[in-house]
Amino acid sequence: MIATGDFACHEEAWLALPWLANGRLSQTERDKIEPHVRQCSACKEELAFQRLICDSLTAPDRVTYAPGPSFRKLMDRIDGTAPRPQKTGERSKVPASPGRAPNRGKVSPWRPPGLAWAAASFALVIGFVGVLSTVYRSSELLYTTHTDTARATPNILHIAFDRSLTIGEAEEALRSTGARIVEGPDSTGVIGIRPVASGAGDATSAGDRREMRVLSARLRADPRVRWVEPILGGDSPGERRAPLSRGQ
Amino acid sequence: MKGTHHNDSPSPAEPNYRTGSSVAREVELIARIAEGDRKAFEELYGLYHRRLARFLTRLTKRYDVAEEVINDTFYIVWRKAGAFRGDSQPSTWILGIAYRKARNAFRSSSRILALENPDAPLPPLTSDESLRTEELRDWLVHALVQLPVEQRLAVELCYELGYSCEEISTIMGCPVNTVKTRLFHARAKLQKLLPALGGATPADERDRKGSREKGKS
Ligand SMILES: [Zn+2]
Repeated sequence: MIATGDFACHEEAWLALPWLANGRLSQTERDKIEPHVRQCSACKEELAFQRLICDSLTAPDRVTYAPGPSFRKLMDRIDGTAPRPQKTGERSKVPASPGRAPNRGKVSPWRPPGLAWAAASFALVIGFVGVLSTVYRSSELLYTTHTDTARATPNILHIAFDRSLTIGEAEEALRSTGARIVEGPDSTGVIGIRPVASGAGDATSAGDRREMRVLSARLRADPRVRWVEPILGGDSPGERRAPLSRGQ
Repeated sequence: MKGTHHNDSPSPAEPNYRTGSSVAREVELIARIAEGDRKAFEELYGLYHRRLARFLTRLTKRYDVAEEVINDTFYIVWRKAGAFRGDSQPSTWILGIAYRKARNAFRSSSRILALENPDAPLPPLTSDESLRTEELRDWLVHALVQLPVEQRLAVELCYELGYSCEEISTIMGCPVNTVKTRLFHARAKLQKLLPALGGATPADERDRKGSREKGKS
């Protein structure tokens, strides 16, 4: 049987356990509930569960997002150079979910893309010097294209990998999905790619666009990919570049 | 007790990103933002982007939704910085804006979130100790989707961002008791969903003990 006072104590402690677990209970509150928690097996067990939740949700993430591109979008909006964003529900499903990384347990801290990354990728895209000379001089420019398709090389996919990936792993991931690099990476690690099978031009044919969609879907399924975003060509309806259907 | 956020110090521990000096710094940044200082704005944005992105992508699984909420929040911060009087902490003020934006975004994107199929079976958990924290986190991310929006946000504000009950009530604009009730229901639901985990009590047993019986050791 539970005495009324004990039960009230249990209820009060039970409600406060999340903050005993996250360490934000005041000393007064702790003095009040800790004696009960120490001798109540249900509360003790629940506290252990609560701490497990805290530990799980505060553990370092496998995937981090760089603030720069999002901040530039915001500044474009503040300066009135970008349209107000569409309603969330209508937007394309662009960035991939973090998913389950194969290298679970090995959480990599933020690693700025190093020179080696840039150099190796440079070798890969040496055939696209014309594009690169622009991209490398100004990563700023490439990244603003994230919001402004008019300034981007049209009809390519922009992709960013988990920063824990080595150059070799990223190259292998792209090769195995049938992608070739046409731009970048820029200083934030964003790479412009196209399907190997697509023509040398702007992916104008229906077949090329289908290839782009297939490639995009394949890469989104890869847990090492932070996000994939199609950069579309043509702002005006009459443009020769038919827009790629987004989000699939 | 152990660990940094389970500490035994006399006063409630502040999460490491809300130490006294960081609060003072944020207050200063907000004052500069009120005068149109873009460098200060970028710095404040950087301070919050990571924790908001993590918190929001965990709830939506979509960075575009998270980014929209973050930018809507900081659009308000930019415009209203002059109205910030310091009677609440910068973090509580900013999170309060983010909470309202997130709640609205989740409601308007419910059609898309519904595609995630909340009835889909949760991933199984193994009892391998080395995988446990990370696996439990993956599991929690799936389980959180099944909670009502207010409960989901309360869970993240408490367990991940480490806010006190009073701070959450300020952020959510509701009484302290409502915060406790939201957490209570969220916890009960999570316990029901939690499969037997190595070393953990089966969910139904814990639930029964927690809500009805009094256990003495
Ligand atoms: Zn108890």
